[in-house]
Amino acid sequence: MEGSPGSVNGGEHWMALEGGADGSSGDGPHTSRFAGIGASVPEQRLTSAELMASTAHRTHIDLERLTGIHEHRVVAEGEDSYTLALAAARDALSHADFGAEDLDVLIVSSITRYVGGLRMQLEPPLSVSLKETLGAERAMSFDISNACAGMMTGVFILNDMIRQGRIRRGMVVSGEYISQLGVNAAREVTTILSDQLASLTLGDAGAAAILERAPEGAPGIEVAGFTTLAEHSRLCLAFPSKVGLGASMYSDSRSLQHVGIEDTVPMLREALDQAGLEFDEIDYFIPHQTSARAIEKGVKEFSARMGGAPKHVVVTVDEYGNTSSTTHFVALWKYLSEGRFAKEDRVMLLSIASGLEVGIVIFKVDQLVGHGHDH
Amino acid sequence: MGTIIEASATSVAHERSMSPGSLELADTAARSCLARAHRSAGELDLLINAGVYHDRILSEPAFAALIQEDIGANPNQLLGAAHGTFSFDVYNGACGLLTGMQLVDGMIASGTAKLGMVVASDMNPEPDVTRGFSFPAVGGAILLSADDSRAGFTAFRFDTFPEFAELFRSDVSWHDDDGRGLAHRGRNLLTVEIAESYAARAVDCAESTARELIAEQALDLGEVDLLVATASVSGFADSLARRLGVSHERVASPSNGVAGAHTAAPAVALESVRLESARTTLFVSAGAGITAAAAIYRA
Repeated sequence: MEGSPGSVNGGEHWMALEGGADGSSGDGPHTSRFAGIGASVPEQRLTSAELMASTAHRTHIDLERLTGIHEHRVVAEGEDSYTLALAAARDALSHADFGAEDLDVLIVSSITRYVGGLRMQLEPPLSVSLKETLGAERAMSFDISNACAGMMTGVFILNDMIRQGRIRRGMVVSGEYISQLGVNAAREVTTILSDQLASLTLGDAGAAAILERAPEGAPGIEVAGFTTLAEHSRLCLAFPSKVGLGASMYSDSRSLQHVGIEDTVPMLREALDQAGLEFDEIDYFIPHQTSARAIEKGVKEFSARMGGAPKHVVVTVDEYGNTSSTTHFVALWKYLSEGRFAKEDRVMLLSIASGLEVGIVIFKVDQLVGHGHDH
Repeated sequence: MGTIIEASATSVAHERSMSPGSLELADTAARSCLARAHRSAGELDLLINAGVYHDRILSEPAFAALIQEDIGANPNQLLGAAHGTFSFDVYNGACGLLTGMQLVDGMIASGTAKLGMVVASDMNPEPDVTRGFSFPAVGGAILLSADDSRAGFTAFRFDTFPEFAELFRSDVSWHDDDGRGLAHRGRNLLTVEIAESYAARAVDCAESTARELIAEQALDLGEVDLLVATASVSGFADSLARRLGVSHERVASPSNGVAGAHTAAPAVALESVRLESARTTLFVSAGAGITAAAAIYRA
C-alpha cells in the first residue's frame, strides 16, 4: 500500500485522505456509505431578538441582521446532551436496515456532554450509557472530542474502519446542549467586538450518522479528508464558566473566519482532485453552519478561487442556529426529510472548526433518498 | 506489516521545580517520545490526545490541537512540507490510551497514516476547589508506526460493564457559594468519585476481557511474556496477574509515586520494562464505565 495514490499520507497530500477518484474505494477493499441519518431538534424556540433582549448590557447588536439567524432551538426541562444524542441515534436507526445490536462501533462526539441538566460528565464516557440504552451490545464504544468537527471526525474514523474491512457498521452520534453558552455570553457581551459574540449564535440539537459497508459496486463516500492547522488552535477556547452554569466560549471570530477561508481553499482543491471532481460538480455543498453571512462570504470566495460554484448551498443556520458538532447532519437530515435530494446527487460536507480543523466528506446520496427519511 | 511501538515516554510533575499544567506535561512527554525515536514532530500524520483532566477543563478545541501547535507538528502549510497532521481527542477514561492506539493502528493499516502518536496527561485543574481528585500529575506518549518485519499489535478487544458505571464518576457542575457576596454566587466544580469497590470490580472486568481476547486469538496465557496492566488504582496489576496466572516478574505497572496514574498509565508502565525483549505482551486497562480494554502486541 505504501506510496500508492489514494490515501497514503506520505508526501502526496497535506490532508489525511481516504478514498479515490470516480468513487472508487482507493486503497481500501470496500466502500462505505451512510446507512441512516438521524436528528433531534428541541421543540422550544428562542429568537435572536429574544436572546438579545436578555443581555445584561444594552449592546445595540442586531444579531439576526448580523448573522442571518432568526431563531435557535433550545432544550426544555428534561432535555440535555445525552437525551438529544439518544433521540438522534434512535431516529438514525429507524432509517437503517439493521438494529443497534448490529453496530460494531459507537462513537459519541458531543462537545457539551451535559447529563441531567448542566452536569458535564467526564467519566464514564457518554458512549457507555448510550450503548447500553440503545442495546448496541457488541459495539466497541468511546467518545471523541474535536470541537465542531466532532461528528465529521467520527465519520472519518468509521469510514477508514469500514473501507479496510475492520468493521461493517458504525454510528457516530452527538447531542449538543450548547445554548447555555449564549445565556452566559448574554451576561457579559457589551459590543459587537465581544469575544463571546459567537456564543450568541449557538442552538441545541442532536444528530447521528450510521455508516455501513456498501454493496459491491454501489456508490458511497468517495473521499474523506482531514487536517489540523494548529497554529490557529488558540483562536477559540471553551471551558466551564466563571459566571454561571455550563460553559463559556471565547473566540476571535474575525480571525477564524479569515483563516477558515484562506487555509481551506487548498484543502478543497486537494479533496476534489482526489475525487477527480471540480467544485461545480458538487450538487449540494453543506458547510459548517456558523452564520448565513459567513457562509455566503465563504462560498463566494471558494467559488472564485476554485473557478466554479456548487449547484446548491445548504443553509439551515437561519432556523437552527449553529448547532456545533451536529450542523452538517442536522442539515442533511432536514434536506432528506424534505425530499430535496435526487439519488444521483453528490454532496460535499465541509467542516471548519476550532483547532483549526478542516474536514471534507464527498459522497453520493443514493439509497438515502426514499429510505424512510422523506416525510 | 504491523503497527509497532517505536517509543514511549513520560513526564512527571514532581520532578520539576515548577508546577506545570496538564498541557506542559503532555507537551514534554510528546517531545521526549519523539526524541527517543529520533523523529521530528513534522513526521506525525496523526496526533491523538487521550487525557481527561485538562487545564481549565478545556472542552474546545481538542487538547490535541494545542499539543500539536506546541510541539510544532505541521501547524501550518509551509512551502515544502510533505504533509499535515490531523489531531483530535479520545475520551475513554483510563482505556483512552489503548483506544487511541487502536485508532492509530487502524489508520496505519489502511495507509491513511504512517506515523501516529497518542498522548495523555492528567492534572488537577484547580486543586483548591476540586473534590476527590487523587491522580498523580503525569503525562505519557506512545509513538506508533508501520513495520514490515514485525507483527506489532495483532488484536484489540473492548468491553463495557455498565452495571458498574456508578463506581467511577467524574463531572463538572455548578455549586452555589454561600456567604461570598453577589460577585461570587457560585462556581463550577470538578468532582471525582471512585467507590472502594471499584478496584475489585475493575480486576473482574479486566480479567474477563483479557481472557476473551486470549481465547479469540487462540493464545495461551503461558505465552505472555509481559503483562502491562493499568486501572488508575494501585495494586491492580498484581491482582490481575494473580487472576491470570502471570508471574510477578512478568508484570509492568506504574510505580514510584505514580501508581495511581490515570490515562497516561500504560506509557508510565512501559518506562520500567524493555518491550522489545518480550515476544508477546498483553496490554490490559480498565476504567470508568466500567470499560475494559485488552491488546496483544507481538515483537
